[in-house]
Amino acid sequence: MADIEIIDAEKRFGNNHVIRKLNLHIRDGEFVVLLGPSGCGKTTTLRALAGLESIDSGEIRIKGRRVDHLPPQQRDTAFVFQLYSLYPHLTSYDNIAFPLRAAGRPEAEVKKQVTDVARVLRIEHILDKRPSALAGGDLQRVTIGRALVRRPEAMLMDEPIGALDAKLREEMRAELRRLHVENGSTTVYVTHDQVEAMSMADKIGIMYDGVLQQYDSPTTVYDTPANLFVAQFVGSPIMNVVDCRCQAGAAGTEVRLAGMVDPFVLPASAAAALANHSGQDGEKALALGIRPEAIGVALGAAAGHVQAKVHLIEPLGAYDIVDIAVGDATLRARTPSQFVRAQGDPVWIKLDHARTHFFDKTSGLRLQAGS
Amino acid sequence: MAQVSLKQVSKRFGAVNAIRELSLDIRDREFFVLLGPTGAGKSTTLRCIAGLEQPEVGDVCIAEQRVNEWSAAQRDVALVFQQYSLYPNYTVRQNLAFPLKSKLRSFTSKQIEERVAKAAATVRITHLLERRTDRLSGGEMQRVSIGRAIVREPRVFLMDEPLSNLDAKLRELLRAELKGLQQRLATTLIFVTHDQVEAMTMGDRIGLMNKGMLVQVGTPHEIYNQPKNTFVASFVGTPAINMFDFHVDLATGRATDGALAFDLSPATQHTLSTLALPADGRVRIGVRPENVQLVSSGGMAGTLYGAEHHGAEIIAILQSGSHMLRATIPADSHVAVNQPLQFSFVQDKLHFFHPLTGENLRH
Repeated sequence: MADIEIIDAEKRFGNNHVIRKLNLHIRDGEFVVLLGPSGCGKTTTLRALAGLESIDSGEIRIKGRRVDHLPPQQRDTAFVFQLYSLYPHLTSYDNIAFPLRAAGRPEAEVKKQVTDVARVLRIEHILDKRPSALAGGDLQRVTIGRALVRRPEAMLMDEPIGALDAKLREEMRAELRRLHVENGSTTVYVTHDQVEAMSMADKIGIMYDGVLQQYDSPTTVYDTPANLFVAQFVGSPIMNVVDCRCQAGAAGTEVRLAGMVDPFVLPASAAAALANHSGQDGEKALALGIRPEAIGVALGAAAGHVQAKVHLIEPLGAYDIVDIAVGDATLRARTPSQFVRAQGDPVWIKLDHARTHFFDKTSGLRLQAGS
Repeated sequence: MAQVSLKQVSKRFGAVNAIRELSLDIRDREFFVLLGPTGAGKSTTLRCIAGLEQPEVGDVCIAEQRVNEWSAAQRDVALVFQQYSLYPNYTVRQNLAFPLKSKLRSFTSKQIEERVAKAAATVRITHLLERRTDRLSGGEMQRVSIGRAIVREPRVFLMDEPLSNLDAKLRELLRAELKGLQQRLATTLIFVTHDQVEAMTMGDRIGLMNKGMLVQVGTPHEIYNQPKNTFVASFVGTPAINMFDFHVDLATGRATDGALAFDLSPATQHTLSTLALPADGRVRIGVRPENVQLVSSGGMAGTLYGAEHHGAEIIAILQSGSHMLRATIPADSHVAVNQPLQFSFVQDKLHFFHPLTGENLRH
């Protein structure tokens, strides 16, 4: 059991309040990604877990035992900080065996552990090769092998693959996740890259300005972001966020963006989130949030659609991102490749009401039905 | 009018051939992207156009005039780099005005004021004009750098990885802004990047370079859908294209590769029969992740090695024998790791390459 709890943790560097009242429960066997921009407190949190930073107040518990006053080596959990570079004069086998031999383990055990790790990582065929003879992906696997061979109960990783090129990162994401599936050790992984977070995590903790903004599964974070920061930090292309005015109409709730004459009409059920918000009369500052794939685009007039105009087309090969001018606002929609033919073309758009969000612009919070 | 042409241009640095016999025609008012990995020669190509490097061989032409012997200033081009080369103690206004105060130009202070105001409005930094540049965020600084290039109204913009230092969100916003800007200004823009997403989304055409050579020039759609060879196919597109060497038997209509095997559709058989296939029948087949489909029966068998939830879609990583391949599947699919699955390829989207040369057999 490597259940980890952070309770009311606070940390300051001088006047800089880097962790504010942080509460986080990482369950045994979970892969948790701490995500946020630089300076958000994610790395400090990781270092505090490892014992490389102290916290000013609050508690850290590992396996139920309070550890925040203990030095790193007494925290009863092995931590892996980064994927260290390999020793160039040693073979892959000797590189992976290094931490075990350094710990004085018998050679028979070393052999078994190295062989096991090599099988999991599919690097059995390169165990006798030196780093200079290996391609990038294999090098990285050997490096991971060396980190894993001690079988740490909890792994702490700080941007381990950030420096690799895009293709290799894509591969390593899958490998790291697979490794977790196979050996099940509790993992806390720090990154600023939302793609890494989405693709690897059981749960993502999004931090900003020392504050945990949301702690949920990738799909929950993506589908129901807690606030505007999360909404725009997670997901690519970025969620559209535009000012809007809402008012009750004959057919449902009418939503207008700046400069719009004909409104989007949302059914009453979809507008439930607005019901308890005093901004329903349009006087309060509201923002509409909708992801590009939740905007329906038609090439001709259609029921429930609003006329708009193609402003820009960004082809991505598998699909296009189309910037669409509606009123004075621009919305980015995701369409099949070459669905929209040319800039300036008229299109008709509609919002998928189940995936339309409203945010209070003052607090940034997403409005929720019944809240 | 400012077409840019390179004719048989070569440039060496010591023993390294940075560019080899490169010929390229960039059209007037085109947004042209030079794309490639580090060391491909794309920045050197840009610097040869700018006049910062001299090619040993070949002609560099701007607006149909050979400019090899012209200085950088005479070429009337503006450069924007990844590193913002702004004067930190100056205000944004002073930085923008600076290129106009050169002794080579003779602008009145009124003209300078007008041009600065116009450029600032174009890149949306009017509200920052009186601020010192060391008080700006990265995105604001890059806007000022672009503004300083615009203010001169050059014949050609040359940009070398201008978005690379910015965070992902800002890059995405500036991509669209820059493309819109180039269209409003109606000026030729040559943009160097190693990021295929930037190239695809912004370029009217892309020139993909590798090892000092131009591999393919085409629209984003052509580069993605008709890659000239395996290098182009795997450099463009994310997740990367899946590629396997199949043995193709036109007599039986089967394609086999150890663990993977499928029946060729009549249309695919016809396509393959028109191509000059290698004598041993081996063909490297490329299939993009969005063209691998999960099916309930009759497909190739595999297991789910991993699944990445990206929000708008799931990338399923499938294992079949010793092969791994990626499939883009709908976000609401229910799949579990280690689950047995069947999959098939969308056959009219397959790419066929020569297994040794990597050349696309269709092009």
